[in-house]
Amino acid sequence: MSSDHLVYVVDDDDAVRRSAAFMLRHAGFQVRPVESGVAFLKLAKNAERGCVLLDVRMPEMDGLEVQQEMLKQGIDMPIVILTGHGDVEIAVQAMRAGAINFLEKPYEKEALLAAMEEAFERLDNSNVKEMASAEANVRLACLTGRERDVLDGLMTGYPNKTIAYDLGISPRTVEIYRANMMEKLRVRSLAEALRIGFAAETSDIPVTKPVQR
Amino acid sequence: MFHAIRPVHFIRTFLDDQKLTMDANRQDYLEAVLATLPECVAIVDRNFQLIDLNKAGLKMIGVEHFDDLPEGAPISLISQPYRDAYRDALKTALSGAKQEKNKPFRIEITAVDGTHHLMDCCLAPLADKNSEINAAVVTCRDVSEWQDALEAAEQSSSILQTILAAVPDAMVVIDEHGLITSFSTAAEKLFGYREAEILGQNVSILMPSPHKEAHDGYLERYLRTGEKHIIGIGRKVEGCKKDGTIFPIKLDVGEAKIGDRCLFTGFIVDLTEQQRTAAELQSLQGDLMHASRLSAVGSLASALAHEINQPLTAIANYLSAARDMMDQGVEGNEAHLHEALRESVSESLRAGNIVRRLREFVAKGEINRQILSIAQLVEDAMTLGLVGAYDKGIVCTTNINPDTNHVFADRVQIQQVMVNLMRNAIEAMEFSAEKKLEISVQSIPDKRVEIAISDTGSGIDPEMADQLFHPFATTKGSGMGLGLSICRTIIEAHEGTINAEPNPLGGTIFRIILLKAAEEKLDVE
Repeated sequence: MSSDHLVYVVDDDDAVRRSAAFMLRHAGFQVRPVESGVAFLKLAKNAERGCVLLDVRMPEMDGLEVQQEMLKQGIDMPIVILTGHGDVEIAVQAMRAGAINFLEKPYEKEALLAAMEEAFERLDNSNVKEMASAEANVRLACLTGRERDVLDGLMTGYPNKTIAYDLGISPRTVEIYRANMMEKLRVRSLAEALRIGFAAETSDIPVTKPVQR
Repeated sequence: MFHAIRPVHFIRTFLDDQKLTMDANRQDYLEAVLATLPECVAIVDRNFQLIDLNKAGLKMIGVEHFDDLPEGAPISLISQPYRDAYRDALKTALSGAKQEKNKPFRIEITAVDGTHHLMDCCLAPLADKNSEINAAVVTCRDVSEWQDALEAAEQSSSILQTILAAVPDAMVVIDEHGLITSFSTAAEKLFGYREAEILGQNVSILMPSPHKEAHDGYLERYLRTGEKHIIGIGRKVEGCKKDGTIFPIKLDVGEAKIGDRCLFTGFIVDLTEQQRTAAELQSLQGDLMHASRLSAVGSLASALAHEINQPLTAIANYLSAARDMMDQGVEGNEAHLHEALRESVSESLRAGNIVRRLREFVAKGEINRQILSIAQLVEDAMTLGLVGAYDKGIVCTTNINPDTNHVFADRVQIQQVMVNLMRNAIEAMEFSAEKKLEISVQSIPDKRVEIAISDTGSGIDPEMADQLFHPFATTKGSGMGLGLSICRTIIEAHEGTINAEPNPLGGTIFRIILLKAAEEKLDVE
């Protein structure tokens, strides 16, 4: 890893912040631990650009609020959100607001590094835009009605159980639709699927021609 | 011709005719007796005609003078069903046949005012000087009232029988020797004996040992000393059924004195059901407390998951870094490797601690009072109670006075109370500008310790203040209103008190007062 890749680790929990910094440093990143969202916003304006590993649950100002504030202040740094268990709804909100990815604590190192890699790709190539809505729509067109329903549920931030209830099917069936949906979209993580979904949302053009690839 | 004769004259004449030696005084005496006799005395001739009737008879029929008697008397006055019996009896008397003694017959007379009188009548033949029987003396006693009283007695006795049969509590009457003289239907059902088989048996047959053997002694002692041990007091004791089953009863004994005899009435209530209900209630309360802990846990769960995920995340971070270092070669990395492992151990313990406290909190244990450090108790409770509080911007301060040392308490239960109060405080401060939670522990007189949990929240509605600790009193949108009621139950079980008062800084202060653990108990520890 190139040592000029700077990661801001924003987490109020000492152990998590220190351990993440420890691990990322060993993985070759430059790390700047920050103990709160407020402190990060204060320094971020004039700081070197980097990727932000942002914890959702923090006192004073939570991760989503920090993200909103960054957008407002024009702080353009890719964000990877860290959530606790069962915070899918929050993660989805963060994705909708442009986060690169989200990770549920505790996460595997490989998942974190993959997310970081993705984030730096975005940082290094600022001209790489979000997937065009047209392309997103094309990819979504291969989904069946039910698969699309499940994705819509996930995009709302619902857990499988709620989606199952709303659709009147079993949670197990939802899992199957979800796996099929991710297979068809050729994505490995929920975050990627959500990104496609959100990209498609920006367009009002309805899908008229399903295209199989 | 008899009709014309005045009654008294008749008797006089009659007696004259008898030529008995009788002076005037004696005649007057007889007349006076007849006049004052409470029973009716009539004289009837062979033609069943009434010749004479004394004052009591006139009065009973309701006339002033003999001449005022209605036509056809006395037959016309006798109710139809009794007339034949009257005629037969009169015929027998007039025939001179021997009358059976003490064998009165009954007739019913209708008085002129329409009232009915039941009369027991006796007949005696009356012979003239020629020993010829041509009249009979009829003496009648009005038994209407007796009859009424008898019927009333029969009725009340049957009412009593009905009550005895219907009263749900078993009733056993014994005499002063302990022998059963009455055994109600409910008693039959309860004990399994028929009244017929148990009457006259010693009541001790209904008791298990040691009362069985001692009961005669109890009775003897009571009769000798008059000391009441159960009479009028009532006790919970045990009964013994015919099949040998021993079961709990409530026994109330009343005493009745009839002359110099004593009867004791025992009312017996079967407590089997009550005890079962009580046990069920107790277990329900236990379940409820458990459930309330679980629901508290439920609301804590997501916050706790986050809490546990923190050390797990740190461990994963350290260990994955350590694995990388080993891949790269340990040399030169020893210090870092050591750091990663050391931190992992400490974070594992942190996670374990959270889990352990949660498990203790959820565990549905028996009450288990121990000597506990109050500081440790408060600290443990804070681990759970303050989950998520920091995120909500709550500033928590603790002030534990070192002289407060130990209490004798159930750790989990006291912890539940404190966690409950802390969670309430945090909830109450949700919309407060200032969010200060202060927990202070100090000694107060009489070897007690006070735990005060004060918040700067919304405070308690004065209208709620009175019933704050009552079950199902709640101001929360989604609450059962059981939290504080359970808190009070727990604290009171610890011989402590709990109350709430307004915080001078705004909000509320809850104060728990517990007894300090005695010094000698500390030595045991």
